[in-house]
Amino acid sequence: MKDDGLDPLIHVPTRLKIVATLAALPDGDTLSFTRLQDMLELTPGNLIIQLRKLEEAGYLSSEKTRNGSAQKTTVTLTRQGRKALDAYTQALRDLLGGL
Amino acid sequence: MNTTPDTTTTVGNGGDFGPEQAAALLGQTTQQARRKFQPSPPWLLVTRAVMVLAALGAIWLSVRGQHPYRGPTAADIPVLVAFIAVNFAATVGIRRQATAGVSGRSRFSQGEITVLVLAFAAAVVAMAGLRAAGVDFATYPTSVLVVPGLAWTVLMAARANWRGLATGLAIVVIGIVGAFAGPAGAWAVAAVGLCVMLLGSAAAIAWQQRA
Repeated sequence: MKDDGLDPLIHVPTRLKIVATLAALPDGDTLSFTRLQDMLELTPGNLIIQLRKLEEAGYLSSEKTRNGSAQKTTVTLTRQGRKALDAYTQALRDLLGGL
Repeated sequence: MNTTPDTTTTVGNGGDFGPEQAAALLGQTTQQARRKFQPSPPWLLVTRAVMVLAALGAIWLSVRGQHPYRGPTAADIPVLVAFIAVNFAATVGIRRQATAGVSGRSRFSQGEITVLVLAFAAAVVAMAGLRAAGVDFATYPTSVLVVPGLAWTVLMAARANWRGLATGLAIVVIGIVGAFAGPAGAWAVAAVGLCVMLLGSAAAIAWQQRA
């Protein structure tokens, strides 16, 4: 955690957008990699890198399923990830004096 | 803790990603995501409210002078069918778009869909039976809303979806009030009641998306 209380894992534009988008779904719902990529207009490579960092921190989990020759990846925000976003939002509010 | 250098920590023309920018980005992304995941966007509900008022209101205008009541005229039926068809197609299309790539509670389960379909079928069968037995309110357009409205209310309660639960209760109330309005008046109750319910839902969703 930085001095300003902002979680450095979330305080990156691309990762903030990923976490905020997944948090808009009900708890436990999953989103396909392709829909997330479409929504955020990111390249697959960039999205994979950012998802990996968030997954390593335990903020999201991903699952790969195979249907014939096609492989589908889905991602979901974990409880820890949702808590981290809540804490990040609170830290922003504190810093900005009421968002 | 992430200690590796990150090339995406800056925005715009290379300035630091400050709290103000983060707050703006967070708010904007959250609102956009909520809008894109919403299977019943406010604009669709408002459009539906106008359509239901126009379609059912037109039928009320044509039946209110009937003594005795004979029901919608042949000219009213295409209006009603067109309303139901357009409404169904728009709902399915937009819901499919909103939930593309999403799995989990955002989607109705097969069991929930079965319950809703059975509730509609049960309502139609029950009304047909009551009509054959000579029960007046069985011919009212609002009567058929009660059983599906109750089914929707129970499903929404199980999902802890309080806005959906309020919608279900509103449908049940419209169904019950219609039973006291007479055969022609029930069309007016359905037109105004469903219009108000849809506008209320649109307002609630719009408020929720901005929160």
